[in-house]
Amino acid sequence: MTDAVFRETAAEHRTQSLPLSHLSLEVGHLYMEDFEAGPERLREHFTLVRPWVDAVRAAAPAGSGKRPRISTCFLVDDYFSRFSTPAELVPMLLAEAERCGLTIDYLARESACAVADGVQLAESVEHRLVESPPPGSDGSRPPVKEIGWLANGERTPGVERLEAMANDLPSWRPPTETAARRHSVFMDVELWDDREQRRTWSCPFLAAVWQLARLGLLRHNGEAVLVPRPAPEGSFPRDWDDLAPLTRLNPAAQPFAAYRTCSVLPSRFLPVEHAVRVILGQVEVDPRALHQVAERSGREGVPVPEAVADRVAHVFYAGG
Amino acid sequence: MIVFAASDKGGTGRSVTSANLAYRRALAGDDVCYLDFDFGSPTAAAVFDVPGAVRGVAEGGLHSHLQGRNTEPVRIDVWAETEHEVLRHRPAGAGSLVLLPGDRSGGEFTVGREALRRCVDLFLRLNGEFDVVVVDLSAGRSYAIDLALEATSRPEMRSVPARWLVYHRWTRQHVIAAAGLVFGGRGIVAGGVARGHDEERLRGAIRFVRAAVPDPESPLWSQVPPAQSAWMRKCDQDLEVLAADLDIGYTRLLGSVPLEPVLQWREQLITDEDVLASRIANQETLQALEELAERLTGDEPWGQP
Amino acid sequence: MRVPGDPAAAVLLCGEIRTCLLQTGRSLPASAARDLLRLRAGERVRVSERPNLHVVSPDLLTGVDCRLPTGTGARIRAVGTVTARAVLTEGRVLQATARFGCPGGGPDTRRPWGSYLVRPGVVEPLGRLPVRAVADGVLADVRRPGELDLGAVAERLLGEVQRHPLLDQRVPFKSRRTRLRWAALRAPDGEGPSLGRFTLAEDGLRTVELRLPEGTDPAACASLCEDLALHDWLLTTLVRLVERSRLGSADGHEAVMALRPAVDHLLHLWMPRARVDTTLAPLWEVLEREPGFTRQWGTLVQRIRDQLALQAIPLLREALTAR
Repeated sequence: MTDAVFRETAAEHRTQSLPLSHLSLEVGHLYMEDFEAGPERLREHFTLVRPWVDAVRAAAPAGSGKRPRISTCFLVDDYFSRFSTPAELVPMLLAEAERCGLTIDYLARESACAVADGVQLAESVEHRLVESPPPGSDGSRPPVKEIGWLANGERTPGVERLEAMANDLPSWRPPTETAARRHSVFMDVELWDDREQRRTWSCPFLAAVWQLARLGLLRHNGEAVLVPRPAPEGSFPRDWDDLAPLTRLNPAAQPFAAYRTCSVLPSRFLPVEHAVRVILGQVEVDPRALHQVAERSGREGVPVPEAVADRVAHVFYAGG
Repeated sequence: MIVFAASDKGGTGRSVTSANLAYRRALAGDDVCYLDFDFGSPTAAAVFDVPGAVRGVAEGGLHSHLQGRNTEPVRIDVWAETEHEVLRHRPAGAGSLVLLPGDRSGGEFTVGREALRRCVDLFLRLNGEFDVVVVDLSAGRSYAIDLALEATSRPEMRSVPARWLVYHRWTRQHVIAAAGLVFGGRGIVAGGVARGHDEERLRGAIRFVRAAVPDPESPLWSQVPPAQSAWMRKCDQDLEVLAADLDIGYTRLLGSVPLEPVLQWREQLITDEDVLASRIANQETLQALEELAERLTGDEPWGQP
Repeated sequence: MRVPGDPAAAVLLCGEIRTCLLQTGRSLPASAARDLLRLRAGERVRVSERPNLHVVSPDLLTGVDCRLPTGTGARIRAVGTVTARAVLTEGRVLQATARFGCPGGGPDTRRPWGSYLVRPGVVEPLGRLPVRAVADGVLADVRRPGELDLGAVAERLLGEVQRHPLLDQRVPFKSRRTRLRWAALRAPDGEGPSLGRFTLAEDGLRTVELRLPEGTDPAACASLCEDLALHDWLLTTLVRLVERSRLGSADGHEAVMALRPAVDHLLHLWMPRARVDTTLAPLWEVLEREPGFTRQWGTLVQRIRDQLALQAIPLLREALTAR
């Protein structure tokens, strides 16, 4: 169609492409209480993380014998609770990381996974959920997304279709994981709650948005989102809202988004990350963005796994 | 517009009279659709003399549609499929007359969110296709009534005109029961208001139809002894007073249908043929039905300018 | 552009389109149409204004794992996603399309869901696909319970749009929706696209069987079928409006009043092939020869215009004598 004389841009698909690293390495995902515990807690965290970071770097494939492009990132929770100011916390964070020999290339705010620069990221990801159909799904049942939960299988049946005087009154049935290996590990993830007319996205859901952003698979009307901005000249702002959704702390950093991600986290994050995997396994990302990543990774000799959830890896360290 | 046909008790001739109204509207040129929402015992097809659907259809009826078991509810083109010899010839200028039957093994069911959504979609869709959509509800307080109230309370249904017909026999018990069905504690008005209906608007959209009314002035009773005739008049007046007290008097009356053996026993459509040629039905009944059908879609009987 | 999961390897493309009048008093301008079809946050609604206003929603996916319909009753389980989209023409006629493509075969067991999600609009059989039997099953007028229900997907989307608060539900005239099912098999090597059958069944069902060269874009195939469905609906609806107006038998003035909505809302919509891919446009020519869609439309329009002109004569005379 591109050779046509007449074109209407509003009638066409377009998807912006992004610079991509080989690996996005998350060196921490901390809550305000971790900061509240002071620099010692941060130091302890980075000390435990450091050997795993080295291991991940060593194992990262680059293809064609070159050095892999790796960017590191750190996520600060300013969504569920707030503490102190970026002006106080960010320098402390950077100092403790550096003391342990770690460079943090990018700093993101967790609230940016909900809304970044006015774009409702979480909502647009929610609209892209396509639930894994249990066997027998013939298209006649609507997706149950309005309820704010997402499962990896079939729930215990409810009372929706209890019919008076029907002979086949259903008895209780256990939930089942779709495509389970004989026994189910059923998981039902809360995506959000609505209280006092305000929607609060759940931690796993925001973490799934975070993973998709790091994989370079998020777009808004085809445009890039969560574009990194340079660190402010001088000191960091006194209000979290004044800090960019994503800040490039290291001017020499490799691109933020990458073919694959790896997160080094304390083991208490295991259930959250399981939930993230359940979500990622049921998100239909922009097919053109998907194509850009697949095409370029293939050309570099480091093809990405087909399923998005398989591009995400974790290292869980004990404690914390 | 959507017309909901309700009754507190059985035996009011709700289905047969509503079917006759649908038929009359189609004769007048409207495109008409008749929905059998009598989930307990779907029988409307019998009135239209449609073979194969007499006690509802085996599968694909309205119940299973609302429960999501079939996407396309069965539609029966009455003019084409009836076995009634008069109905088979669609008069020139008549509108379509379509029946959506219930399922034979229906049964009442609870109203879930999905059933509600399907019901709203069905109403909106039929409203876009037909001038008049008659919904025959089960007798008494039922899930069918809840579903109708719930569906019509939705914002997307707000500009779709909805009218309610409540049928009752002209007896003391039936008058009290009909008033209770509409104005009682768990009645249609209270149930509607609880679902967000505007009370005045909902009340204004409800009219009563008196069924099987013996007319003391009718030639049928002209031979009875004077004492009996006086007694009949007295009873009739007492019922009028009772009805007025219960707020179901003249202002809320759409019309009356006389006691008519064809409606009672044959439970079928009354055609002009039945009155003029075979003379098995009374002229008064035909007139009453014609008048009702006209008032059904008119604005004045519903207090609208 | 070829994207991964592009079912170019599909040996069978199937779909169902439901076409109806948008349930609102006035046709929607471009901006409102865009809001109406913004079914997904963060994704563009495509708007084209030449040669007529044509607005296309983002694609929505529905996951399925069920039997494919087959003409033979063979039980073929398949897993994947059905693509659905809504299309609004001139802010007046709404269509919902649900479609999928099928490769010739697949693994014997279900794969992880993420692998299906990267192939939007592909439903993959477990084992080998009996192409002919499935094409027949898709086109059949009855659907067995438990078989893939494209109609339900399209219907749900249509319902979602028609329930939108932008619509006032006050339709200018009553009309019936139509359903068009299509199945496109692969054309023999070296042959161009061809139209096998176009069937008008009762109950508003139309079926189309096509043969397309390997590599035909499934979206282009869907656009062609949407165009066929749109014009078939226009014709069906206009025929019915003329019939109901009792043109020729009723009082002329009454007939004209009954035809007024057609003049206001339908007559300008006829524009076959407006958005059909050039390689598929010849398929329309077949229908123009037999039965002659545009010929029938032209005749109806002429009848309406003649009637309007006749009715205008007394008015004209009045106006002249009043001078």
